[in-house]
Amino acid sequence: MTKTKQNSVLEFFKQNLVLCGIVVLIIVTAIAEPKFLGAANLNNVLRQLGPLPFAALGMTFVIIAGFIDLSIVGIISLVGVITVGLIDPLGQGGALLVGILLGAFLGWLNGLVLTTCGAMTQAEVLFITYGMSSIYMALALIYTQSETLRLAKSEKSYSIFTTLGSKNLGIIPVVLILFIVILVLMHLFLRKTIWGRAISLLGGNKDAAYLVGFNVKSTMRLAYTINGLMSGLASIALLSRVTTATATSGTNYETNAILCVVVGGTTLKGGKGSVLRTMLGVVLITLLGNCMNMLGLSTYMQTVMRGTVLVVAIWLDNRKEL
Amino acid sequence: MEKTTDYILEVKDICKYFPGVKALDHVSLSIPFGVVYGIVGENGAGKSTLMKILSGVYEKDEGTVIFNGETIEHTTPIQALRRGLSIIYQEFNLVNTMTVGENIFLGRFWENKGMRGTHKKARELLDSIGSTISTYSLVGDLSASEMQMVEIAKALSFDSKLIIMDEPSSSLTSEELKKLGIIINQLRDRGVSVIYISHKLDEIFEYCNIVTIMRDGCVIDTKPVEELTRSDMIAKMVGRTIENEYPPRAHFVGEPLLEVRNLNTHKLHDINFTLHKGEILGLVGLVGAGRTEIIRALYGADKVKGHEVILEGKPVKIPTPKQAKQAGMALVPEDRKREGLILPFSVESNITMASLEDLTHMGIVDSSKEADIGKRQIEALAIKTPTPETKVVTLSGGNQQKCIVGRWMERNPKILILDEPTRGIDVGAKFEIYVLMNKIVEAGGAIIMISSELPEVLNMSNRVLVICDGRITGEFNPEEASATDIMDKAIG
Repeated sequence: MTKTKQNSVLEFFKQNLVLCGIVVLIIVTAIAEPKFLGAANLNNVLRQLGPLPFAALGMTFVIIAGFIDLSIVGIISLVGVITVGLIDPLGQGGALLVGILLGAFLGWLNGLVLTTCGAMTQAEVLFITYGMSSIYMALALIYTQSETLRLAKSEKSYSIFTTLGSKNLGIIPVVLILFIVILVLMHLFLRKTIWGRAISLLGGNKDAAYLVGFNVKSTMRLAYTINGLMSGLASIALLSRVTTATATSGTNYETNAILCVVVGGTTLKGGKGSVLRTMLGVVLITLLGNCMNMLGLSTYMQTVMRGTVLVVAIWLDNRKEL
Repeated sequence: MEKTTDYILEVKDICKYFPGVKALDHVSLSIPFGVVYGIVGENGAGKSTLMKILSGVYEKDEGTVIFNGETIEHTTPIQALRRGLSIIYQEFNLVNTMTVGENIFLGRFWENKGMRGTHKKARELLDSIGSTISTYSLVGDLSASEMQMVEIAKALSFDSKLIIMDEPSSSLTSEELKKLGIIINQLRDRGVSVIYISHKLDEIFEYCNIVTIMRDGCVIDTKPVEELTRSDMIAKMVGRTIENEYPPRAHFVGEPLLEVRNLNTHKLHDINFTLHKGEILGLVGLVGAGRTEIIRALYGADKVKGHEVILEGKPVKIPTPKQAKQAGMALVPEDRKREGLILPFSVESNITMASLEDLTHMGIVDSSKEADIGKRQIEALAIKTPTPETKVVTLSGGNQQKCIVGRWMERNPKILILDEPTRGIDVGAKFEIYVLMNKIVEAGGAIIMISSELPEVLNMSNRVLVICDGRITGEFNPEEASATDIMDKAIG
């Protein structure tokens, strides 16, 4: 009797490793550094949640479809600089809209290039999206002439961006509320719509999905378009928080997004996964960064820790198969 | 060396538990030197688990293993190989991009003092089994039977005393099978023992000296093959008597349903045929003759131009599987795991995936209807699964196949294409698939069946087309034709 009870406790830990990790992290850091739980730091953490969740949310779709996307560095950078540049000619609403749609378009373009090349393996997709990223970043460099673009230099109003970047509704940042709405919509999209199901089935087995009549190429383009759209939103969130955009603002977002997806428990093999799990990954990774800051670890050590967490996450995922 | 035992392998009271299942229940076997030892049983009987314990992939939970007089407590696949126990899996373990010689001595080139020695040794081994494959050929360019020769040579390179062959004939043509038979006899004459696992009872009777029948993780019986009849064996495997292996032939052939005209690709030449309502049309031919290519072209899975397809009197274009599905076609592919199933997904998702569009309103999938479909097909086809949410990968081969058939049954296909529908599934499940086929034609559907098992085609179809080298070389009425007539046309 006690044995089965032990087993079910163990099973609970196994099923909710990330959640347990978050709890342990909070307890350990709070003991070592009581300021961690202070209002100032919590507000800081919530605000840090800005761009990364959007990027990780989009990446979840691509990974569930059985692929990967390194181009979001380029998309985030390019969308950011173009958006700032468009505030004066189009007004802030127009700039925001065009920026987000540009993200979706670049994602769709990735999908188009990949399906036209017939790239179906993860290695091919990895290198092609890496190449696309270089192109987008180069375009951003040409556009900015390597200057930093500042919201403050705009002649027209940019209040939407400042609201997104620094206003709170109660204690919750506006950008987080926007994110939660989108998260719920995307969760329902993945679970309830035929397009979401097609993405999962594609990741599970492309050949089988093809033979029962799914259009593999259009489904693949859809997954990349969603990721582009989410990267566009991530770019807007980033721009709003830091109030500047450069041709390299998106750097590291691809690895961090993939890290969050994998740590959350979506398998890199494709097929199985959930956007809600990815959010646990985002929370864990963001908290980990914050805790290490609080405990005074150097940024180099933080990079080591992130790498270690990624390796452990993949190792645990592969052990689950056994 | 003095022999301390009469047996190369003795297994005593082996038990193996998986969560919730007793996979092996006090299994005991004794395999003498120089025999071909058959093991038969339905899928899930425990054959593979036992072999995986012997070869060191799994650990046993209880019992003893004595190999060549030595008690083995723990083993790993490489230790087992070095002791002289090789296993040749159904899916070969070869590196396609390396040469034959390199594959035989993979990772052991230094033992032969470099590549020249490796190829020389490899040549000797291949000669010893009468194979003429060049040791410099790439394995990827070889046929299935040649790859098997390479596997056997690899086994011999470890000086194996016991070679386990798991379903060795599943990818071989009947000519190639004869060669395998000769080699197995040579091995036996050298004193090497072979464990031969197969669903094909004819092969068991032809090659084996002793047969063990397993069912539900237990050894049911072990006898010299002469003391067993085919029906005894089947009865012991399934635990009940099966009167017939095949249901009575269906006779529902009606008017023409589908006509295919001038199908040509680089591999196919002038394929013309007609399929009738209520007909089961058998396509036979050697592996590689072009049978699968015909049905893939018809189904829109491969890009083919220039042929005409006339469905119910109207010309139709079927460029993709999507259009094929809309035209009322359904395909159960040859390679269940690679092309048919989504292994990590639930039984329900695997069944409903072909019907999702019908359950979708404004893009939203109706999940309660989806659950209904899952339940309905699980019940209708008697799919043995704990729940609809169980992952399909955990089911036996026969039940997995039924999931794919059920997927299409839900859509009442006009034309059901079955590519090797009973490959690797057990006798009981085979019979159920045959009964289903008859139900489909009775309801007015038509079936195109590809099969490498001639008896199956002869007993199930209304008409047989023989394919050889991409051409239709013969048409037979299976009620009159003999297997020899058909093979004659298939070899060309």
